[in-house]
Amino acid sequence: MHLQACRRRLSLSLLPIFFFSCAIAQKGDENPVKEFQNRIDNYLSAKKKQDITKKPTDSPGKLAQEKQQTTEKTREARPQAQRGDIFTPTVTAYFKKQIESTLHGPDGDKVRASLRHAEPLPNVRLQVNARYPRNLPLQSTPPTLLMNLPTLPKELQYRIVGSTLVLYDMSSGLVVDFIPGAVPAT
Amino acid sequence: MKQNRGMIYRKAVLLIAACALALAGHFRTAQADPKAFAPQAATSKLDIRIPLQDKSVRFAVIGDSGTGDRAQYEVAQRMEAYREATKFDFVIMLGDNIYGSHSPKDFVKKFEQPYKPLLDAGVKFYASLGNHDDPEDERLYKPFNMGGERYYAFRKGEAAFFALDSNYMDPKQLSWLEQNLKDSQGTWKICFFHHPLYNDGRHHGADADLRTQVLPLFQRYGVNAVFSGHEHVYQRIKPENNIYYFVLGNSGKLMKHDFGKFRERVKGFDTDQSFMLVEIAGDKLYFQTIARSGETIDSGELPRIHH
Repeated sequence: MHLQACRRRLSLSLLPIFFFSCAIAQKGDENPVKEFQNRIDNYLSAKKKQDITKKPTDSPGKLAQEKQQTTEKTREARPQAQRGDIFTPTVTAYFKKQIESTLHGPDGDKVRASLRHAEPLPNVRLQVNARYPRNLPLQSTPPTLLMNLPTLPKELQYRIVGSTLVLYDMSSGLVVDFIPGAVPAT
Repeated sequence: MKQNRGMIYRKAVLLIAACALALAGHFRTAQADPKAFAPQAATSKLDIRIPLQDKSVRFAVIGDSGTGDRAQYEVAQRMEAYREATKFDFVIMLGDNIYGSHSPKDFVKKFEQPYKPLLDAGVKFYASLGNHDDPEDERLYKPFNMGGERYYAFRKGEAAFFALDSNYMDPKQLSWLEQNLKDSQGTWKICFFHHPLYNDGRHHGADADLRTQVLPLFQRYGVNAVFSGHEHVYQRIKPENNIYYFVLGNSGKLMKHDFGKFRERVKGFDTDQSFMLVEIAGDKLYFQTIARSGETIDSGELPRIHH
């Protein structure tokens, strides 16, 4: 009897928490793009405080030096960075859905063919806030796929490495975040 | 008999002496003024098939060049010989300008050193980005004349050029392309980028998705010619939708015997490295494709097709 009362009380007390988390999930599901864009804005504003302006130069040495500085400062801007900071579960689910629908949409054949012909990369070990693997080419990202993903600011790009969708920071050469298994084998 | 032998012997000695003197004279001439000797010999061997008209736009084309290997250097030497004769003053680069690492040494070995004679002569290079390029380093590298952008446009005489980044054809670039093609007053509109829209090569093939997105714009706004790389061969594709297509991805790299079934190409070359010379004069585009060996492997005259 006492046990049953405890269970009832516990269920009643957990009910608001359950509804609250449902509400959050619901809200997230409704606005994965907004959530993603907010996180991108936060990333950029943290970076902006640290960044250096780069101008065209004749000197490859200066280019290398400035890139190194940008890489270090970008890392410093988010020392605790980890996978999922940008691609939260809600955002990840949204991206996977978009990629899936692009690959199986009206232009799906062409998109898959482009992925096959674009010198596909093997799956390599990626790490947030680490340099995109040196000497690894940047596989082209099909234009139709880019049309179906949220627009990015100039300095960021979506890249495909094996089956992983990578958010790549061009100015620092760093991996901002990634979704493993987002792009099924074509 | 003995007299005869003696005569033959004397004649042979005289002949050898004469040959030795002639050779010595020849080498003295060459050594005394090597500069005067060498270019004359090189130029006299050049087979020039573009008309070199007054006020024409003349340029060279290279693709997939940045290996730093001997073949790249040899193509570059051949280009310099043709520059002296044809006075082309700029080069368009179809991507993969620097393969592998992008350290300062690589920029020297894979670009500055091989093309030094051209750079010293004031030839400008206009780069587009390939999948082996570092977009950040290369867009900011002044000798590539990208103005700090991944994609850009420039004008030479009556010809308007559009350098695109086919690695990342996002909606922003597509709308930029549409606006710039629409606004362009160029009589000739020429687009160049890395991934080919049509391609008979077996290694990569054509980029069908890219074609879906850019071709309607090319047609709507009257693009006349398209140059791409990526496939490490030379191909002239039969005109599609009133647009001429060239694939040149063998100015450094080479994919020997790469052609599949003959479908789209008019002319192909997959046994050596090459580069192109192009001249635009009035309503004509003249082209000549030259192998590393010096052999002209393709040439012709193409009228501007009105859209």
